[in-house]
Amino acid sequence: MLTELVALTRREFLKLARNPQAIFTSLLFPLVYLLLFGNGFNLNPLAELQNPTQAQISAALDFYFRGAPNYYSYFSAGMVGFVVVTSTLFIGANVIFDKLFGIFKRTRGTPAPSAAVFGSRLIAGAAQPIALAFLVLGLALLFAHIPGLNGLHVTQSITPLGAGEVLAAIVLLALMFATLFLTFGILLDVPQTYFAAVNLLNLPVLLTSDALYPWGTMPGWLQTISQYNPISLCVNVLRETFFGSAVYPYPPAIYLGGLLAWAAVLIGIALLLVRRALRPLE
Amino acid sequence: MSGEGAIIAEELVKVYGGKVRAVEGVSFTVRPGEIFGFLGPNGAGKTTTVTMLAAGLRPTSGQAIVDGVEVSRDPEEVKRRIGVIFQEGTADGDLTGRENLEVAAGCYGMSRSDGKERATELIDKMQLTDAADRYAKTYSGGMRRRLELAVGLIHRPRVLFLDEPTLGLDPQGRAGFWEFILSLRKETGMTVFVTTHYLDEADGMCERIAIIDHGRIAATGSPAELKDKLGGDVVTIRTSGPTPDVTPVLQAIRGVSSITKKDDTYRVKCMQGETFVPLAVEAASKAGVGVTGVSVKRPSLDEVFLEFTGREYRGEEGPTETDKAVMMGHIRQNLRGRR
Ligand SMILES: Nc1ncnc2c1ncn2[C@@H]1O[C@H](COP(=O)(O)OP(=O)(O)OP(=O)(O)O)[C@@H](O)[C@H]1O
Ligand SMILES: [Mg+2]
Repeated sequence: MLTELVALTRREFLKLARNPQAIFTSLLFPLVYLLLFGNGFNLNPLAELQNPTQAQISAALDFYFRGAPNYYSYFSAGMVGFVVVTSTLFIGANVIFDKLFGIFKRTRGTPAPSAAVFGSRLIAGAAQPIALAFLVLGLALLFAHIPGLNGLHVTQSITPLGAGEVLAAIVLLALMFATLFLTFGILLDVPQTYFAAVNLLNLPVLLTSDALYPWGTMPGWLQTISQYNPISLCVNVLRETFFGSAVYPYPPAIYLGGLLAWAAVLIGIALLLVRRALRPLE
Repeated sequence: MSGEGAIIAEELVKVYGGKVRAVEGVSFTVRPGEIFGFLGPNGAGKTTTVTMLAAGLRPTSGQAIVDGVEVSRDPEEVKRRIGVIFQEGTADGDLTGRENLEVAAGCYGMSRSDGKERATELIDKMQLTDAADRYAKTYSGGMRRRLELAVGLIHRPRVLFLDEPTLGLDPQGRAGFWEFILSLRKETGMTVFVTTHYLDEADGMCERIAIIDHGRIAATGSPAELKDKLGGDVVTIRTSGPTPDVTPVLQAIRGVSSITKKDDTYRVKCMQGETFVPLAVEAASKAGVGVTGVSVKRPSLDEVFLEFTGREYRGEEGPTETDKAVMMGHIRQNLRGRR
């Protein structure tokens, strides 16, 4: 099992490394959002306050950005969740293209266990969004030091536990969506159908999360929905760790738990579906 | 129960989606070490049969035993024992030839170092040494096919399934491919099951063949046996004149099945042309007719094929696997051209 998994995972990473266009595009997306959207959409509720007191300032920040010092800091934490979900999309598309080129059939013709076939793609497919998530964090932190650009200002000191929770949230979100999209890729045969299915899922999930909207501008019903959204759950862990827990009803561990529950359900359903499709004899 | 057969198909049936009856009760036995040809027109059910034997598709009913293992009972063990060359290309274009082989070795559980060693050995054998570290997408059609064969052989299979292995190869490429298969069989005693559209290939290389049409076996036997079933050779005899008629004289010779006469020429169907000719010449001259020309024509497998399938090409259906493979070849070519 391990030999097969290692060989197939190596193959996935070789493919990844040989497709610089795909890497470039996946880098371009968060970069454009961080540079343009984050700066262009830089809402500042403090501008409307005249001679605000410290209490008024922090009340405004709590209301709009859930304790983040400005929109960009709030937004860049949200971008992490956003990027993780949008960049997992390749994982299933790769399966479909491998099917079209007969490569998937070749692999299925060998005795390599289904778990190795699935696992290798999951590892490679989740590694990419996880790497991108940290790239987004790194860039946003860096931008804070570049004059003329907005950036991510972390206001809390990060404990090892906090860092661990942030990592766990990112990894869980990546694994969950990678499993889901990988399952789509295995079950579907036509690229168009796949992209339609992914978009049908992606857009509502992304836009019912609080990843990009300032919290205070969201209507109450959307705030309620977004609390259960897996992207929000991940982003909550990041924001609470970076900007403090004053406005959050629960500690990060609870949001992580929610994320874990989502992951368990989605991965469970996905594996159930994919097990049939990946039986040794179809 | 499998003692005598390397591949045993028993009443294999495959119905796709409850509608398309691709294979309708196919039975045959391939002996160990044999090269067995599976012939049939487009859409006859060749690929479907191969895929069922190679544990890639569950039969609707019937069973297959490959190298002593019942396919539906232990498909993974079957996959360990067989090599498969699929009709459509399956080489991974973004990987080098060597990497293709190493990944395949890993899929069969071979250690990294064993895989590397075996890859180098096969690269040598397939004469891919110069191209081994180039991306497979830069390979010519023939090189790709050799690479795919190498991938199929990486784990030293006991039974090799080849689905139209020489599709799209030039005559030299085909000859080279077969030369390699023959030497491999000699070396390892491997059983080879091959589907092909090239009848001359099947005639020259296969010990026995089965002809499949509309999902049923139309005939099985050695190429010679099948040709004999057509009623043997056709001998054409031209004589010095239309009279006297020597038909009764020729008819009396052993092994003759039918004679048609047109003017001074007789067309004789008989079992063995070479032994018939001297007897015919002698009998004709005894009857006072001189023989001015003789030709003996062995039926080729083409005629056998036509006889048993009734046609050369089935045009009324959608794209077949062959069409798809050719199309994918074009797409690849285009992709390659653009990079
Ligand atoms: N996945 C499928 N779903 C439905 N029908 C199929 C499927 N695969 C094959 N068929 C049909 O089953 C029949 C047999 O197809 P198969 O590919 O086995 O033929 P073949 O003898 O290999 O043809 P070719 O010489 O073109 O490769 C054809 O009518 C084909 O259209
Ligand atoms: Mg076929």
